[in-house]
Amino acid sequence: MISAMLESETSERVDLDSQHTTARPWQAVVWNDPVNLMSYVVHVFREYFGYSRPEAERLMLAVHNAGHAVVAEGPREQMELHVHAMHDYGLWATVRKAPE
Amino acid sequence: MTGDRTTVLELTRMEAAHLAGLVAQFEELIQGADDGTPDDPAIARLVPDGYTDDREAAEEFRGLTQRDLLDLRESDAARVLATLHETPGLPEEGSVTDPSDEALLEVMQLRLDPEDLQAWLRTIAALRLVLASRLGIKTEDDHDGDDPRFGIYDWLGFRLDGLVRAADEMF
Repeated sequence: MISAMLESETSERVDLDSQHTTARPWQAVVWNDPVNLMSYVVHVFREYFGYSRPEAERLMLAVHNAGHAVVAEGPREQMELHVHAMHDYGLWATVRKAPE
Repeated sequence: MTGDRTTVLELTRMEAAHLAGLVAQFEELIQGADDGTPDDPAIARLVPDGYTDDREAAEEFRGLTQRDLLDLRESDAARVLATLHETPGLPEEGSVTDPSDEALLEVMQLRLDPEDLQAWLRTIAALRLVLASRLGIKTEDDHDGDDPRFGIYDWLGFRLDGLVRAADEMF
């Protein structure tokens, strides 16, 4: 009984681990550029993603100071939609697989 | 209801004339772009690569999005031009020859509904990207006070910031 319980627990953990590797999420990344206004970038993050002002400002500053920021994570198709939308606003954005 | 969703933008007749000229040039530039990877860096900036680490995925993404983005830029520009031309007071094309003409300092009140506002924001943002590409702006410190085109670039930034603030009031 105890052995069976342990077995099941172990195999469950293995499953979770393999699921984690195969489902490494995709990311939408916004890159810094010298042209877009800070106020405009904050506006875009609020309007498109529905982020609160503090969260939008935090992301804008991350883009500005670190050169880029991950603005969303999830399935590839969804990240492509986000990046398409960012391009529509004039922001420089790319899709990538989350780094390991 | 519609009243509170309208943004009123005040521009002098001279500003409006300059903006109409710039947006018409912008529209022409966009109309000249085809569906291949753009050679013109200004167009390329409006339809950037969606992937930096995967050539094939970037091509595929471009195939799916570029035409849509260029069409949107064109329809947004047309909408901005429509607002400018529908508002009484826009000087006729080519008539702004004497900057000391006081009539050009009269203020026009442009009324933007929410969809107009979207088109205005995106068009001015895109116009600044194109201008920055032409001016060779690579960092935030690139600025040449002797080049009058930087004055136009800064003025567009000032007007865009005002529109962003108006748009943010609607949240």
